[in-house]
Amino acid sequence: MSSYSVTHPSLRQKWFAGVIVVAYALITLMPLIWIVATGFKSPSDAIAYPPKVVFEPTLEGYVNLFTTRTRLSPEALAAAGPAQTWYDEIVRQYDMVISGPSRYGERFFNSVIIGFGSTFLSIFLGTLAAYGFSRFRVPLKDDLLFFILSTRMMPPVAVAIPIFLMFREVGLSDTHLGMILLYTAVNLSLSVWLLKGFIDEIPVEYEEAALIDGYTRFQAFYKVVLPQAATGIASTAIFCLIFAWNEYAFAVLLTSGTAQTAPPFIPTIIGVGKDWPAVAAGATLFLVPVMVFTVLLRKHLLRGITFGAVRK
Amino acid sequence: MTDQSTDRAPTASRPLRGHVVRGLSDRAVAWIFIGPTILLLLAINIFPLIWTIRLSLTNYRANRTAEAVEWVGLRNYQRILTDPDIWHTMQATAHFLIWTIVLQVLIGFTLAYLINKKFRGNDLWTTLIVLPMMLSPAVVGNFWTFLYQPQIGLFNYVVGYLSGVDPSSFSMIGDVALAPWAIVIVDTWMWTPFVMLICLAGLRSIPESIYEAAECDRASKWRQFWTITIPMALPFLMLAVLFRGIENFKMFDLVVQLTGGGPGSITELTSINLKREAFEKWRTGYASAYAVILFVTVFGLASIYVKALNKVKQR
Amino acid sequence: MRALVQDLARLRRGPWEMLATVLIALGVVMLMQPVSLWLYTHSFVVTLVGTVMFIIVSHFPE
Repeated sequence: MSSYSVTHPSLRQKWFAGVIVVAYALITLMPLIWIVATGFKSPSDAIAYPPKVVFEPTLEGYVNLFTTRTRLSPEALAAAGPAQTWYDEIVRQYDMVISGPSRYGERFFNSVIIGFGSTFLSIFLGTLAAYGFSRFRVPLKDDLLFFILSTRMMPPVAVAIPIFLMFREVGLSDTHLGMILLYTAVNLSLSVWLLKGFIDEIPVEYEEAALIDGYTRFQAFYKVVLPQAATGIASTAIFCLIFAWNEYAFAVLLTSGTAQTAPPFIPTIIGVGKDWPAVAAGATLFLVPVMVFTVLLRKHLLRGITFGAVRK
Repeated sequence: MTDQSTDRAPTASRPLRGHVVRGLSDRAVAWIFIGPTILLLLAINIFPLIWTIRLSLTNYRANRTAEAVEWVGLRNYQRILTDPDIWHTMQATAHFLIWTIVLQVLIGFTLAYLINKKFRGNDLWTTLIVLPMMLSPAVVGNFWTFLYQPQIGLFNYVVGYLSGVDPSSFSMIGDVALAPWAIVIVDTWMWTPFVMLICLAGLRSIPESIYEAAECDRASKWRQFWTITIPMALPFLMLAVLFRGIENFKMFDLVVQLTGGGPGSITELTSINLKREAFEKWRTGYASAYAVILFVTVFGLASIYVKALNKVKQR
Repeated sequence: MRALVQDLARLRRGPWEMLATVLIALGVVMLMQPVSLWLYTHSFVVTLVGTVMFIIVSHFPE
């Protein structure tokens, strides 16, 4: 018998596997590290050849991200007096002064409102529906569930055509409410499927006992089922939030100003000046929260991406 | 899947015993739970869908609402399905689809196989590898244009360093021959972890006893791999392939930010093409017919996908 | 082969679903193949038939 076994790999095999996986992880993380690093470079360091690995960190990218600046003539600059703050100081190096805030803050805030709003709604509706599907005889249950899932599969650009017309008709174009409703509809499929999986795992006997104790159906639902499903609800919520946070197609086609989220805005930061550090800074602030959430979610990732089918 | 959940499944999926609570029948309670979701989906999905089908039979243009709308029957469909340009768009999509799936399955499965050797710290590294797929494709695609810059881009520099080619001599995004591969590379970078995770679940679902039995029969490792590992992991692999297939068939955000469909229309995938027709040329009726064709295709693929999902669920 | 035909005639779900799946897959391949414009033109009908068939036969008994 050889020492090789599929079920009990030898130490050498483990080392071999480990080295390759770690190498892959390092390569695959390079672009992400590069985004974060570029955010702290000066514009000239960002476009240096060969690419600079060691550089002097600066917050220029972040200052440029959050401000608009105007160039002044030397006389006007002298008249403006010395720089008041550290960010003024950074801008003065380029003979410029800060003329106001940029729109990044607004766009980021829109992402937060629309993300949390739609997550709340889709979890609220999704939990109810998932409970209904899990515990009751619903006519055409499988068809309804399939229909709910299929809505998520549809190409967003194709869906956007009638939605665009509909929103224009009822005055929801470029509004927070419109985007919240739209993202809720898309996220419902995920929340219903995932939560149904979580609720299916809660033994039905608990509720039966509660019903015998004189609880109503609704009391049994929120006093017995909801607490048990809390972890599932939390991880489903994070999935919904990440989707709404990342979404681009609907956002770019259906919003232009007031309700525009960050993903369509970040690419426009680059402007004519090829200000890569500002773009990278914007991307970093936008992506890092998702990375943190991903780490928190790691136990439920598989469930999330397979609509609850694979449970590990 | 743990043993626990399979044990529980039959009890949990059984409907609750029929009580009539405060005059509400079970059916009424069920509709209170499910109703709001169905209503919202009717308003935001079904109603627009029916509207799209109606529009697809007209020559409506959303930017000229004053013009009279004429019924054109199936002429929009006829024009789309005989248009060689749209056919080429489909082929660009096919190139993207096939290569991303091949690469992601090969790399993803290999990684899953290696991670399944359970070396120390494999959980940590798995989590790190997964990071790209959770990020915003548009923002990531936008940043990759920076990595792809000739000369200053990190990607070009690394390729140049490893192969000896001058990094400023090629442009992944600007070159007609390279652009289709530029989008394949970024999508593979982003979504290989997805295939990896599902394959890993497949590998972990194979009971050890099967390998032990094969070991007793003195089956070679090679044979074990092809007669146990691959067939047992296949339903999971199918699931991953189908899902990536559907996702990349409708790919929009990543590629629009990366190449914008260029150079020329080399990387103009179906969704990008549709966006031009609907939101730049404003041929709404025509674009609606185009959308219906995509709907039906995705709907068909989605029904196969759900079948695959149920197959995996039974394990 | 005979068993398959028999199952189809008895309106069993399995083989019909398989048939619908094959039609959908065929339609998608026809849509994206680079060989013949004729196949591309007729892909939509094939996919549509497959999809509608799938919806119907998924209600057949096992």
